[in-house]
Amino acid sequence: MSRRVAICAVAQIRNEPDIWERRFQGMLLDCLEPILEGTGVTFDMDKGIRNVLTCSDDVFDARTISDNGMTDVVGAHYRGEEKIAQDALNGLGYAMACILSGHDDLILYMGHCKESQPESRNMCTNLAYDPFFCRPLGLDFLNVNALQARAYMAASGVTEAHLARVVARARAHAARNPFARENPRVTEEEVAASPLLADPLRELHVYPVTDWAFGMLLCCQERAHEFTDNPVWITGFGNSMDRYFVGDLDLTANLALKKAAERAYRMAGIRDPRAELDVVEINDACAHQLPMTAEGLGLVEAGRAGAWIQEGGPDRQHVNLSGGMLNGNPIMLGGAARAVEAVLQLRGEAGERQVPGARKALAHGSTGGAGQHQTVVILEK
Amino acid sequence: MGTRKKHRNVGVIGVGQTKHSSHREDVNQPEMVHEAVREALDDAGITLNDVDCIVHGNMELFEMIHQPDLWHALGTGAPGKSAFRLTTGGTTGATLFCAADNLVASGMYDVVMAIGFEKLQEGHTTGGITNMADPLWFRSLQTGALTGTCAYDVIQEFGEERAKKAAMIYRIIMDQHACLNPKAHRAFGLEFDQMDHLIRSSARLIGELKIIDMCSQSDGACAVILACEEKAKRAAQKPVWVRDHITVHREETFNILGYDQATEEEKTHKVAARELFKRNGITNPLEYFDVFEMYDPSSWWGLDWLRDFFQLEGDEHLRLVEDREISRTGKMPINPSGGVIASNPIGATALVRPAEAALQVRGNAGPHQIPRPVNHALASGFGGTMWTVLMMLEKELDWQEA
Amino acid sequence: MSEKFGVKVEEIFDTMQERFRPEGAQGVDASFGYDITGRGKWRLTVKDGAMTIARAEDLGDCVVVTRADPDTFVGVNIGKVDGTEAFTTGKISVEGDMGALGKTFKLFKRFTPPKKEPTVREYILDMFGTLTARFQPQAAGDSKLVICYDIGGKDGGRWTAVIEHGTCTLSEGLASSPSLTLAMKAKDWVDLMLGRVDALTLLSTARAKLEGDMQLAMRLGELFAKYTPPGQEAVQDEELLVLKKVVSVGQKFATGPVMGKFLNGLKEKKIYANRCPVCKRLQLPPREVCAVCRVRVEEFVEVGPKGNVRLLDTAYYASPDPLTGETRETPYAMAYILLDGCKGQEAFAHFIRNDQLDRIEMGWNEKKGTIVRPVWAEERKGKVTDIRYFEIDE
Repeated sequence: MSRRVAICAVAQIRNEPDIWERRFQGMLLDCLEPILEGTGVTFDMDKGIRNVLTCSDDVFDARTISDNGMTDVVGAHYRGEEKIAQDALNGLGYAMACILSGHDDLILYMGHCKESQPESRNMCTNLAYDPFFCRPLGLDFLNVNALQARAYMAASGVTEAHLARVVARARAHAARNPFARENPRVTEEEVAASPLLADPLRELHVYPVTDWAFGMLLCCQERAHEFTDNPVWITGFGNSMDRYFVGDLDLTANLALKKAAERAYRMAGIRDPRAELDVVEINDACAHQLPMTAEGLGLVEAGRAGAWIQEGGPDRQHVNLSGGMLNGNPIMLGGAARAVEAVLQLRGEAGERQVPGARKALAHGSTGGAGQHQTVVILEK
Repeated sequence: MGTRKKHRNVGVIGVGQTKHSSHREDVNQPEMVHEAVREALDDAGITLNDVDCIVHGNMELFEMIHQPDLWHALGTGAPGKSAFRLTTGGTTGATLFCAADNLVASGMYDVVMAIGFEKLQEGHTTGGITNMADPLWFRSLQTGALTGTCAYDVIQEFGEERAKKAAMIYRIIMDQHACLNPKAHRAFGLEFDQMDHLIRSSARLIGELKIIDMCSQSDGACAVILACEEKAKRAAQKPVWVRDHITVHREETFNILGYDQATEEEKTHKVAARELFKRNGITNPLEYFDVFEMYDPSSWWGLDWLRDFFQLEGDEHLRLVEDREISRTGKMPINPSGGVIASNPIGATALVRPAEAALQVRGNAGPHQIPRPVNHALASGFGGTMWTVLMMLEKELDWQEA
Repeated sequence: MSEKFGVKVEEIFDTMQERFRPEGAQGVDASFGYDITGRGKWRLTVKDGAMTIARAEDLGDCVVVTRADPDTFVGVNIGKVDGTEAFTTGKISVEGDMGALGKTFKLFKRFTPPKKEPTVREYILDMFGTLTARFQPQAAGDSKLVICYDIGGKDGGRWTAVIEHGTCTLSEGLASSPSLTLAMKAKDWVDLMLGRVDALTLLSTARAKLEGDMQLAMRLGELFAKYTPPGQEAVQDEELLVLKKVVSVGQKFATGPVMGKFLNGLKEKKIYANRCPVCKRLQLPPREVCAVCRVRVEEFVEVGPKGNVRLLDTAYYASPDPLTGETRETPYAMAYILLDGCKGQEAFAHFIRNDQLDRIEMGWNEKKGTIVRPVWAEERKGKVTDIRYFEIDE
């Protein structure tokens, strides 16, 4: 049996600040229809989709069993459905397992999230911290990311000026992405002057509140040709958890990321990521995570990330041409947005952002404050 | 299976559970989870170093913890390891089991530990379940997981006296099983001669669903370790093989299931059983299986679903219960663990079903062990809007010819 | 009798012999006197590794005499009162050789009060005797509450507690219109109060019965402080820390065009379903897709407003509404109603008027259930509660 799983189709709606006029069901349906039309796949019990994977979060949806309302729309009536409850990129790894195990030939994978629904994103992520010690201290993903940003900047020499460049660049690239959140372009001065949210993170250093949904069709190698002439192969997957207490973490060591990357690279046979990867999509919820993750992935030497940003390294290595999470994707779905962009690049469907001849891409996802959980996926043409 | 064979065999090598209880104020969540993890590792005779991947799940709106797998890293052993989190409501535990099986069978991981838990005392259970309903229209109507519709259906079909008696026999047998299971939460010590009194006097919750019929709200955790064939065969105890599993969901709304026989809708239990048994060549499940750990949230549902799961007709399922064949020593033992009515730590409950089934196959489940060889086991998970997960476990690998 | 600790002074002296430690008596050869206020005097004599204890009139030959009141004496002996503090505050006075007194500390194993279990009857009387003292007025609220206790068996009795204006009075007998009645055998009540069995077990197995206001039943633990048996301190040895918090995050739910049309229709007293283009089934409320056919649904159909009841789910136990926090009055019922124009599984879920529940007949197959009609709210806002409930169409 083959060891590769194909992505036969991807679909997405536009990232928006507030999709008030559709509920989740409408958002997902807009992603499902193009997949069904484009691939001709059905839900036939013998030859079609028998198992659907979803990704959503109960706390952000304010709904117990948040996949419950989606069953109808994703076609899971009298079919299987399993929900990924962490960054959506992990769903690719799990879908891979469902297919490589022989249990399923096809997996439909769909996710949704509306950060505009709850009154406060930080109130929700504050709930990730234990009620006794960390939560009352006011820890949430923003604050913890800020602690990490400060530690990272001190250790790496990355400065506020570098971060400003990262943000301005993200907006510039996003402007060429029809699915990216429509944000005003910003100058580096504007970034540096934006209000402080949690030192050293300023408002423009942090991804804005976003609503989005996506869909993908994954298939075993033997049958991919039934659904597409242009498959993209998942050749590497790795994820890893880090410790919980912020005080236990070495905030700058990228421990979980390095483990995740190592596992993914090993599976994909990648020895020199810098040379071998044509496209890189990093899940940068905050600006400092772009250089930090690039270091952890081995794309730039530790300590050289500031210079790398200065010298146009990210453009040269085709990092986050989508605009990244920094331009706006909702929590939980950032990693999927990275994978979707990588797929479009490898299929030659990335429009103005296209990297000519792209053959190998990396998508990255993370969950939790200071990226306690990290995921890396390698995709190939 | 899909159109292809299972890539490699997977065995259950370790099982751990906390004693399910309504008073676990003595531990916080990671500590409680760790009890189950520790027991599973000891049972398998391995250490955390031998585990490649952790799969974690629960229903987070009960305890109102966002992304609890992050905090629980303190007790699960996940740091440094691969880790997934899947949640599907009441079926979560079963999904975790199926996911662990997929992950090992795929060749991506050799040893995977599935961990399900719930600390219901730390939240409001019925409120949490009611939150499952769409906020726009159903949430103001729903009554949590409580409904008298199943009792109504069974009473309509078989008559009040017979139906109530059968449901109570089922209940008492489940309690007798629970009394033998040291991990069970509620074990009242019910006797058959109390049947009439209980039917008359146990307080009604909704419709004819009485408080005695309904599952408990428990705090508890369960950990199950699965390994690839090569490592499973080297483990401390004889592995129990995972043969196959299927998940069947249905649409969001709670349509009436069975009230109107003219337009009856098939339950997912029936569809799951039909598909799973068909693709595994099982034509007589009642004969084939030696035990069934069924997810029975109430005695009425437990009674009713026997017909769909075992592909029976008419009143065959009632007679199975009335003849006490579902007891530990009967022809078709159901829930020797006491089932979900005895213990329901929701995120763990559906994992406890295959865990208990595996213990029965292994032959050392404890005082509630079925006193006959158990070669073929069935386990089910339930949740959502009447979803089903169905899993098959085997003592030997001999089901795979050709 | 030293009521405070449930131990008699005499018990301390009577058990000295069995608590005696000969190894502590090495080198001790003297008489020690004890003068317990209002109780008498005792002489303890230690010689050659043995002891005698007896009441005495005259303690003149004692090398040291200890004086104390009964409570302090007992308290120190059972480890509940600090001896040094008692001495410093003058609750114990010592006359004679203090050094000699020091030698007595190693003579005896500590006194542990034997477990004298009160009888069921004693417990019952004490539990109800202390009820009003344990009343927590701050938990009571404004309304008058009448709670009847019907404790069965020869050890039982009947009482009524009336809570009004921040006070609680207890009288014998059962009132005629209580808010709540609890009924169970005396032994079960005692076990319940002592935490030996929990309420859910008693209710499930029908050993206990509750009639009346269930919400009040759930609040009894707040209305009355926990019962502690006589002689036991109210404070536990080890207190488990429990953190209580209500989590609340405001939400803004989108309705989308399909649900939006349904909710807007309610404002105009219209009920809309939508019809699948493939299988033609109606869905109520309307949904973006038909799950069975997996196609988008666009056609709306007005149905009802009347219908027949197919299924009635009557609730006797209410859960709080997660959107409002309020708990409904029981019994209430949710009904599945087939509105005019709908068939088969196309039922609509809503409430039935509370006072009509026992007159509703459920339909089954061709047989029609009771015909009902919606009762609309005066002011409609585009919510499912714009229909207050359905009532019998008469």
